[in-house]
Amino acid sequence: MQFKIKKTIGHGVLYTILIAFSIITLYPVVYAILGSFKTNMELMTGGGILPSVFQFKNYLYVWEKANFAKYTMNSVFICFFSTIGALIISSITAYCIERYDFFGKKVIYALYLSTMFIALGAVTLRPLYLLAVQANMHNTLWPIIIIQIGSQGVNIFLITKFIKSIPKELDEAAMIDGCGPFKIYYAILVPLLKPILAVVALFQFRLSWNDYIVPSVFTMTQPDLRPLTVGVVQLKWGTGAASEWHLMMTGAAISIIPILIIYFVANKHFMAGLTDGGVKG
Amino acid sequence: MLCVKSPDLIGMKTTNNDLKEGKHMKNKDKPLTRTRASRSSIKKNKTIYLMLLPGICFLLVTSIYPIVWILRFMFYNYTSFGEFEFIGLQNFVKLAKDEIFFESLINTVIYASGKLVLTMPIAFLLAYFLNMKIKGRNIFRSVFFMPTVISVSIMSMVFYLIFNPYNGSANQLLLNWGIIEAPINWFSREKAMLTILFVAIWGAVGNYMIYFLSGLQTIPQEIYESADLDGAIGWRRLWYITLPMMSPIIQVVVMLAITQAFKDYETILVMTAGGPNGKTNVLYLYIYKLMFPMGDAAGSVVLQYGYGSAVAFVTAIFVGLITIFYLQWSKKMQETY
Repeated sequence: MQFKIKKTIGHGVLYTILIAFSIITLYPVVYAILGSFKTNMELMTGGGILPSVFQFKNYLYVWEKANFAKYTMNSVFICFFSTIGALIISSITAYCIERYDFFGKKVIYALYLSTMFIALGAVTLRPLYLLAVQANMHNTLWPIIIIQIGSQGVNIFLITKFIKSIPKELDEAAMIDGCGPFKIYYAILVPLLKPILAVVALFQFRLSWNDYIVPSVFTMTQPDLRPLTVGVVQLKWGTGAASEWHLMMTGAAISIIPILIIYFVANKHFMAGLTDGGVKG
Repeated sequence: MLCVKSPDLIGMKTTNNDLKEGKHMKNKDKPLTRTRASRSSIKKNKTIYLMLLPGICFLLVTSIYPIVWILRFMFYNYTSFGEFEFIGLQNFVKLAKDEIFFESLINTVIYASGKLVLTMPIAFLLAYFLNMKIKGRNIFRSVFFMPTVISVSIMSMVFYLIFNPYNGSANQLLLNWGIIEAPINWFSREKAMLTILFVAIWGAVGNYMIYFLSGLQTIPQEIYESADLDGAIGWRRLWYITLPMMSPIIQVVVMLAITQAFKDYETILVMTAGGPNGKTNVLYLYIYKLMFPMGDAAGSVVLQYGYGSAVAFVTAIFVGLITIFYLQWSKKMQETY
C-alpha cells in the first residue's frame, strides 16, 4: 500500500516535470505560429496567446509585398537540388568504399573522416565565395547548393554501415550475370537502400531548409536570391523592425510549418537516423 | 598468387608482370584466364573511379580547398581591399596581443561549459524518464525532439522578440504572474549570455536526449529485474546501475556535445551579434566578423581575410586539443572505475 502511494506521488512529480518541459519547448513555436495571425499592436502590447481576430492578411502581405513568394521559391529550389545531390553522392561513394578495394581507398577514407572533425567555421566560406565569383556562379543559387551538399562524410558513414548489413552474395550473383559495378549499384543496391536513403533525405532536407549562414553570406548583395531563413532574419536588421513584428512572425511561421508537417509525418525516421548513425557509429 | 581474386590495382600490376613471364611458362591456360581477369578488373576499376569522382570533387572543392587556402593565407596580410603580401608569422604575433581574441576565448569557454553542464544532465534525465514505461512517452519524445528540426536562426529571431525588454512576451508573462515587478533587460551585459544559453539549451536538449535514449535501450531489461530483487529502485537504480552501464555511451555523447558547443555561433549571430560590448562574442563569431560584414553593413568595413585565417587556425587547434584532452581524461576515468 505504502509502495503504491509512493509510486503515484513519483508519477505525479514525473509528469509535472515532463509537462513543464513540454510547455517550455512548445511555447516559442506556438507563439510564433499564433503570432503570425496577430496585428503588430497585439504582439507589442501582450494579451492572450490567441489572436483576437485571425489576421490572414499578414500572409497575403508578406507573400506579395515582402518578397516572400520569391524567398520560398528559392528555399524550395535549394532544398530540392541539395537533397537529390546528397542522395546520389553519398550513396554512390558509400557503395564504392564498402564493396570494392581500389588504389587510394585508405587515403579517401581518411580524408572523409578528417574533414568531418575539422571545425574552421565561417572562414571556409570566404575562399568558396571567391571561387564562386571566379566561376561566375555567385549570382546563382548553385554555390549554396554545392556547399550544402559538401563532402557528405556523415551520410557516407551512415550508408556504409547499412550496406555492410546487405549480403554480398547479392552483388556477386549479379556480377556473375554480367552486371558492372554501376548497374549493381542502381539496379540492386538502391532499391534495398530505400530506408536509409529516406533518413539521409530527411537530414539533408532539414539542413538545407534551415541553413542560414551559407545563404546569408552568398546572398549578401543579392536580396532576390535569399531563401526563407535569410529573408526572415533580415527583417530584424531592417530599419522598420519595430513595426514589423507581425511580419517577422509570419515569415517564421512560413519557414517552420512545412518542416513541422514533415516532422510529424516522419518523426520516427528522424530519430532512427540519429540513433543509427550517431552514437553506435 | 596465380589467381586474381580481388579487383584492386595492386593485384592488377602483379598479373601484368606475371603475363610477361608467362611466355616462358609451359602451362598456357593460366595466363589466358589471367588476361581475362585483369582486363575486367581494369574496366571495373575505371568504373569505380568514375563513380567516386563526383564525391571526390565535392570533397576537394568544399572541404580540402578552403583548408589549403587558410593554411596559405594565414601567413599573408590580406584584406578586403584585395591585395595581399606575405608577412610570415605576423598574424600570429598580432593574435597574441589581440584583446578581442582572448575575450572571445573566455566567452567561448563560458558558453560551451555552460551549455554542456546544463544540457547533458537535462537530456539524460529526460531520456531516463522517457525510457520508463509511462503513458504518452512517444508524444513527449516527439515534443522534446521537435526544436532540433526547426531552423536555429528563425527560432533565435523568435526568441529575440520573446526576450525583448520592452514588448517581449517573457517580461509580460512574468509581470502578469507577479514573479517580477519591473521588466528585466534580458540583453544586459550580465544577462545576455544567460539568455543565449537558454535558447541554445532549448534547441539542443532533444538531440542529446535521443542519443541517450538509444543508449538506454541497449541496457538489457533483465539487469533491472535483478536490481529490483536486490531492492535497488528509483534514484539508487539510476546511480548504481544505469549510469555505470551507460558510461561508454555518455563518453561519446559528451564528446560530440563538446565539439558542437565550441562550434556554435548562429544563435548569437542572430540574437546579439556578439553584443553588448562584446559580452557574447564567441570565437567562431569573431572569425565570422573578420571574414564577412554584419547585417547591412556590406562594404563599409575592412575585412581581414589573412588575420581571420590565422584566428580560425588557432581556434581549430584549440578545439581539437580540448577534444583530445577530454578523450584522454575520460579514458583514465574509465580505467579507474
